[in-house]
Amino acid sequence: MAALWKSFLDWLRSLFFKTELELTLVGLQNSGKTTLVNVIASGQFNEDMIPTVGFNMRKVTKGNVTMKLWDIGGQPRFRSMWERYCRGVNAIVFVIDSADHDKLEAARTELKSLLEKPQLANIPVLVLGNKNDLPDALNVEQIIEVMNLKSINNREVSCYSISAKNQVNIDITLQWLIKKGKGTK
Amino acid sequence: MNVSKKDEDSGNLGIFYHLDKTTVLQEARVFNETPIIPRKCRLLLTKIIYLLYLGEPLGTKEATELFFSVTKLFQSKDIALRQMVYLVIKELSTIAEDVIMVTSSLMKDMQPKSEVIYRANAIRALCKIIDASMLPSVERFLKAAIIDKTPSISSAALVSSYHLFPAGKDVIRRWANEVHEAINSKPASLVGSASSYLTSFSTGASSYATQPSTSNINQYHALGLLYLIRQHDRMAVTKVIQQLAGGGRSGFGSSSSVLRNPFAYCLLIRYAAKILDEDPNSRQQMYELLEAWLRHKSDIVNFEAAKAILLQLFLSSPKPTQRFAAIRALNKLAMTHPTAVQPCNLDMENLITDQNRSVATFAITTLLKTGNEASVDRLMKQITGFMSEISDEFKVIVVDAIRSLCLKFPSKQAVMLNFLSGVLRDEGGYEFKRAVVEAIFDLVKFIPECKEAALAHLCEFIEDCEFTKLSVRVLHLLGVEGPKTTTPTKYIRYIYNRVILENSIVRAAAVSALAKFGVSVGDVEVKKSIKVLLTRCLDDNDDEVRDRATLYLKLLEDETSAEKYVKDDSTYSLSALEKQLVQYVSTSEATEKPFDLSAIPKITKAQAEAENTRARNIDHNTTSQTLGGVSATNVINTSITTASRDVTTPTPAGLDQQHVYARKLAAIPEFASYGELFTSSNKPIDLTESETEYVVSCVKHIFKEHIIFQFNITNTLNDTLLENASVVMQPESDDISLEEVLVLPAPKLAYDQPASAYVVYKRINSDEYVLGSFSNTLKYIVKEFDPSTVQVEDIDLLAGDYVLPTYLSDFTAAWDQLGEDGQVVETFALTAMNSLKDACAKLISLLGMSDVENTGTPQSTSLHTLLLSGTFLGGIKLLAKSRMTYAPSSGVTMELTVRSQDIEISRFVIGAIA
Repeated sequence: MAALWKSFLDWLRSLFFKTELELTLVGLQNSGKTTLVNVIASGQFNEDMIPTVGFNMRKVTKGNVTMKLWDIGGQPRFRSMWERYCRGVNAIVFVIDSADHDKLEAARTELKSLLEKPQLANIPVLVLGNKNDLPDALNVEQIIEVMNLKSINNREVSCYSISAKNQVNIDITLQWLIKKGKGTK
Repeated sequence: MNVSKKDEDSGNLGIFYHLDKTTVLQEARVFNETPIIPRKCRLLLTKIIYLLYLGEPLGTKEATELFFSVTKLFQSKDIALRQMVYLVIKELSTIAEDVIMVTSSLMKDMQPKSEVIYRANAIRALCKIIDASMLPSVERFLKAAIIDKTPSISSAALVSSYHLFPAGKDVIRRWANEVHEAINSKPASLVGSASSYLTSFSTGASSYATQPSTSNINQYHALGLLYLIRQHDRMAVTKVIQQLAGGGRSGFGSSSSVLRNPFAYCLLIRYAAKILDEDPNSRQQMYELLEAWLRHKSDIVNFEAAKAILLQLFLSSPKPTQRFAAIRALNKLAMTHPTAVQPCNLDMENLITDQNRSVATFAITTLLKTGNEASVDRLMKQITGFMSEISDEFKVIVVDAIRSLCLKFPSKQAVMLNFLSGVLRDEGGYEFKRAVVEAIFDLVKFIPECKEAALAHLCEFIEDCEFTKLSVRVLHLLGVEGPKTTTPTKYIRYIYNRVILENSIVRAAAVSALAKFGVSVGDVEVKKSIKVLLTRCLDDNDDEVRDRATLYLKLLEDETSAEKYVKDDSTYSLSALEKQLVQYVSTSEATEKPFDLSAIPKITKAQAEAENTRARNIDHNTTSQTLGGVSATNVINTSITTASRDVTTPTPAGLDQQHVYARKLAAIPEFASYGELFTSSNKPIDLTESETEYVVSCVKHIFKEHIIFQFNITNTLNDTLLENASVVMQPESDDISLEEVLVLPAPKLAYDQPASAYVVYKRINSDEYVLGSFSNTLKYIVKEFDPSTVQVEDIDLLAGDYVLPTYLSDFTAAWDQLGEDGQVVETFALTAMNSLKDACAKLISLLGMSDVENTGTPQSTSLHTLLLSGTFLGGIKLLAKSRMTYAPSSGVTMELTVRSQDIEISRFVIGAIA
């Protein structure tokens, strides 16, 4: 009986209280963070973007989930500030350009040093290999290999290969993110 | 917690009452909480701003921390909160690091699809955080914002560009077209809903509910920016003015004119006036425009235009504030260009009867300045009429104005004097009476014809004077001037009345005055009666009065000492005396010897008076400035002072200056071993033009063996900091017997804060007084840049630099005493001089000596003898006599005789002329 009441109350609660979820998008410059945010928010892809100076803040509502997206600039001078915006979020989204092989090395180092921050312990990380529509883009396994994701064992790590341009795998990315929101409640 | 609760209860201001930084920074954690409570955050932001405005210092680290917390608030869509965020960002932008972080967010907020109210604020905040390197990336948005139909956005963009202009001139120059468009744009309200629909389709029409602005202030901003962009291109500016003026001429203020904002017009007028000043070719054109603007319907435009030409129109305006502004401006103008104001005289005369007394007073004083002799009588009549109605302060101004008028038109002195004595009888406070008495004093001093009448008035005044100070001054004047009049006995009666009736201070002054009569009047009868009067004073019940009476009685019997003590004109330089006495008292070994009075320079009474007049002029400046911002000082008096200062170099001001130098140099430990400062050059020599980046002037200080060159350097660039600025001096000839011993750089030169660098030379041969020229180079390190050098002008070391001007009361005796042993005579033809006055001034400054017996100002234009006195380095007495003649054809011919204790020195000094 009590269990029945509880589930009824949960249902009532979900009517009035929406789940809020806070995410931070980081990654090297030109990996497609702002573009991805635009795609998630409005479904529109825009090729002509200017580099993000500082950060952008977007609020996106999907069903009864409201996502606060902190989109931080990827240029070297902003990297030291990533940590500030990652504190206390539900998940960190690390975007990489899977077709830009020269920068993968730098991306790995940046991810490693970001996750070493004690303030960010236990925060789940989602690595997105963007631009998989380009010809020499790496696939998921290659990304996991190059980014050395297997070595991360103190937190939850996932990896998808996506394309913001063709909207490939955006839906499963969203599902993963929304699950994080519910999981922490 | 308890405390803060109590504060909240105690009212609106209570929340801010006990604010302290630590608590606020603690509370700033709410910015990081989810969900955000806009009301709470807003209050906290207000507290932060409050603290910042109070001047609470915020460390870089704290500020950065705070700044990043604040950036988290961008997630809230609350409009009021966002506005507070912009404000805080603007304030923190100067203290916190990495403020560039919000650039993207601000840029997003200023996009056309964002809320209108965000956009303007975001633009203003953005301009605070970006630098020149970022400018190209925001160029597109700013350009779009400038031509935006919403005035607030356009204004924000324009003002931001205005502030960014110094940083990114080249980029902003490209925006001239947009700015031009902004000026010409129709106001949003007229364009109607079509444009507002276009710009707001994404956010919805509701957000566009900002009130349509009718002020068109953005035109003002646009014009300002446009001028900034084009300011160096006079042709372009002229074109802009003509274009914009065109509409104004066809129909004033109608919708057809381009400019609708009065401020914009004012700005335009100012630019036009500037062109008027700079470019004589377009003067006619601009003048016509200005005249057209005079008929503009807006008052403020009118005023600005009138200011540029003349203010006549306003004087008959019904509004007191306008009248006041106009008359004030006129008054100011009258100080410099009396003739320009003359056409307005008639209007101003009407203003004298104005209800508003400030206006009336200004009118009077202006009139007095501009008036001619004929109008004086009429004016005086009017002034007398209203004198009783105004307050003392204004009376003082009027009296000052009259005083200057008297000096300007000596022939009118009778009228003025009557007026002054009339007001002297009126009721009035000390300040007022003092002004009147001083005015009469000046009359006595400068206009000999009125002396007797003026003295008679003063005598009458002291019969019934409640101010001891004034009585004493009048008595002193009577003592000095009375004996020179034809009937001195007349005054003696008045003075003696004081002895009977007044308090002890006045009695003592009266006794002194009587004694002066006794000494100076040749008539034996008078002397006798004075003696009788003084004897009576011996029974006075006050010490001082008795003492003085006794002293003067004795002096009257002894002719020679009377000459010495009563008639002697010279007095000690008070500031020098004070300094010596302080030194005497403070050093213990000195007190064992008696104080040496002869070391103190003497100055003439004329010099002391010149100094007093100067001080008084300054005094007047300040008093009248407090009254209305415009000084009522008389022009004549100032010119008299400056004239006498020019010829009697050095005046006491020069001596004072020398003590300032002495004190300053004594404070530098490196110079301690050089001994006492002997003399310093009188005025700093400018080595650069006054408008250069670094202004350098030089003062030469002569010590017993050393010569210190003090370079006063002023940095006129407000964005640079100079370090280690020193001057490298290079003697013109190599075999100069000077040895550079020390170079002392100025450690730091901040903007507009003069500092001194020093170079010290030692004279190798102490008998040789080196002359020569030095080339100078200013060497400095601009903060964080390479060392640089600047060549400045040369300095000459002249013979006059070794001479200290000293005053002497009896030249002939000293001259005879020195004898002909150390005498050198030479004749010079100074063809370049075109008056004796110039020649005297030049000679005085060249020799560095002081003129004696008032010979500094030639009385005749053709023949003059100038007597000079000074002390050469090492305490050698030096006298010079120069007989000069002037003829227009040949210039000044001069025979110069120099005597000193050492013929070598006489030769050296005379060599200074050649």
